[in-house]
Amino acid sequence: KRSYDNQGFKMKALILVGGFGTRLRPLTLSFPKPLVDFANKPMILHQIEALKAVGVDEVVLAINYQPEVMLNFLKDFEAKLEIKITCSQETEPLGTAGPLALARDKLVDGSGEPFFVLNSDVISEYPLKEMLEFHKTHGGEASIMVTKVDEPSKYGVVVMEESTGRVEKFVEKPKLYVGNKINAGIYLLNPSVLDKIELRPTSIEKETFPKIAAAQGLYAMVLPGFWMDIGQPRDYITGLRLYLDSLRKKSPAKLTSGSHIVGNVLVDETAKIGEGCLIGPDVAIGPGCIVESGVRLSRCTVMRGVRIKKHACISSSIIGWHSTVGQWARIENMTILGEDVHVSDEIYSNGGVVLPHKEIKTNILKPEIVM
Amino acid sequence: MPKPLVDFGNKPMILHQIEALKAAGVSEVVLAINQQQPELMLNFVKEYEKKLEIKITFSQETEPLGTAGPLALARDKLLDESGQPFFVLNSDVICEYPLLEMIEFHKTNCAEASIMVTKVDDPSKYGVVVTEEATSRVESFVEKPNHFVGNKINAGIYLLNPSVLERIELRRTSIEKEIFPKIASEKKLYAMVLPGFWMDIGQPKDYITGQRMYLNSLREKSSQELVTGDDNIIGNVVVDESAAIGEGCLIGPDVVIGPGCVIDSGVRLFGCTVMRGVRIKEHACISNSIVGWDSTVGKWARVVNVTVLGNDVHVADAEVYNSGAVIEEQGL
Repeated sequence: KRSYDNQGFKMKALILVGGFGTRLRPLTLSFPKPLVDFANKPMILHQIEALKAVGVDEVVLAINYQPEVMLNFLKDFEAKLEIKITCSQETEPLGTAGPLALARDKLVDGSGEPFFVLNSDVISEYPLKEMLEFHKTHGGEASIMVTKVDEPSKYGVVVMEESTGRVEKFVEKPKLYVGNKINAGIYLLNPSVLDKIELRPTSIEKETFPKIAAAQGLYAMVLPGFWMDIGQPRDYITGLRLYLDSLRKKSPAKLTSGSHIVGNVLVDETAKIGEGCLIGPDVAIGPGCIVESGVRLSRCTVMRGVRIKKHACISSSIIGWHSTVGQWARIENMTILGEDVHVSDEIYSNGGVVLPHKEIKTNILKPEIVM
Repeated sequence: MPKPLVDFGNKPMILHQIEALKAAGVSEVVLAINQQQPELMLNFVKEYEKKLEIKITFSQETEPLGTAGPLALARDKLLDESGQPFFVLNSDVICEYPLLEMIEFHKTNCAEASIMVTKVDDPSKYGVVVTEEATSRVESFVEKPNHFVGNKINAGIYLLNPSVLERIELRRTSIEKEIFPKIASEKKLYAMVLPGFWMDIGQPKDYITGQRMYLNSLREKSSQELVTGDDNIIGNVVVDESAAIGEGCLIGPDVVIGPGCVIDSGVRLFGCTVMRGVRIKEHACISNSIVGWDSTVGKWARVVNVTVLGNDVHVADAEVYNSGAVIEEQGL
């Protein structure tokens, strides 16, 4: 068994981006979901950076809509990270395994190296180096990350042999309790797996993995640290808390501190915060934001270019790019403001979901969509 | 706190009426009450008897006497051989109290009884007074009419000759249903249209509307009572001189701030009443609401939409009260 340090071995990865991100509307009306910021960075950049760090030199994005919008942004990352980024576009739905077959030529380069498959909605610590070690050690055909959850019945549960991690079976949304470890959506697969996937709508959890498990070639590693599927606003906000918590442990210097800060807060260096504010816990403030004096923010994300006027109070909400929130306004309870939304002074929003370019001049008293 | 002593425009409600009566030449006011008055009320009476040089006494019902019975009960205090008419006011009413004009009106018409009437948009909730336009004589008196008979309602201010007392028995009697209709049928009841504003401020929503009308009236009649020349203040605002307001606030329009209040910096107040001894902390926002004595409102808190905070209520930082409820204890 040789020590695996990946020198000279170039790896590939596929990120399943999928569709239009309807659950993250109105944010996804302005940007494709992978480009929506999470903790001041486009969602997909978290994954691309983790892949780069483990030696991946080419990332294929499996998408099912026009790639042009994405590719423009991605050119930027390609240059900065020195990594190749391409798109593989489905013209018909291919499920969760079909896209791998579609991207076959990009993923297989004759080197025999395994390739990563990630789901774009997932946020975690991405211990990909450890996963590589695990994969090489057990010598099986496929490795998956699993994570423990309280309510496994909503997900795909992985039943495994404790000592080796070898997967016995793969049960999708079980009615009876079979275990509490679920598929975390992070895979490391040998090229031979591609031989098992036809170019047609295929489910990796229902068709491909059970076959490999039956041949005793599928192994599961328990994901250390946090895991979250941030495809919808409530989980996005919880995910931010978990992410910042993890940042506190791993790179606390990235978090902001000061007498006006409570708990974990991430502030872009180009953002400005006025006097007498109270920011945190669990807040991310993006580039170019202006937070005027006397503002209270907790458990919220403030995207690029937002202005929050004096004395406003925002909690458990997401404020979209270039929006403004008026003086003494009160925004709470899963309010999501799309891009360029302007909330007038003293307005109250209780869970409003506001489409881009709207002006909010009257209170939103209960959760509703404002078009 | 007995209702007549609740402040309105930084003055106990009943004081507005007693001062108006004093200005019209009244030397004795009888308060018709239906329960033992607490010490607060007795202290009030002592204080203002002296200050205003007016006699204030109580007439206490031991059984319910309706809206006319109490007049019979207080008969001995109201009659004094002079034969002068006497005023009857309702304690929840606020208006400009043009009582001298009412005395003129009463004498000119040789009325046995005069009542003030005010125009309203929705008369069906009240007692409507139907008058002969030319003479102002009352033709009929219709309580809560089902269909439109007129839009002038009984404003709760009367000027009555002593002879009216002969008509009232010492039992539960309604002045609107029994006494006035009788006098009207004898063509001796006259109605004067009340100039200026009128409001029955017994309900929080009406209290707040009434405050706006009252401040508007102050703007016209004695604007020196309103705050001017302060960048923090817009519209009609009354601030007791012992209150302190921090920097960067935006106060008004239609705000009354009582004695000893402390308003920290960055606070937004409009359409609200802040009673004696209240502390409003930084960045809070209060609108169309009433904050009771000695209460505190925390930083970034929001009290809006006809919410009433009672005595000594403490709203935590960033709490929201916007459902128009009456909050009596903290942490409701």
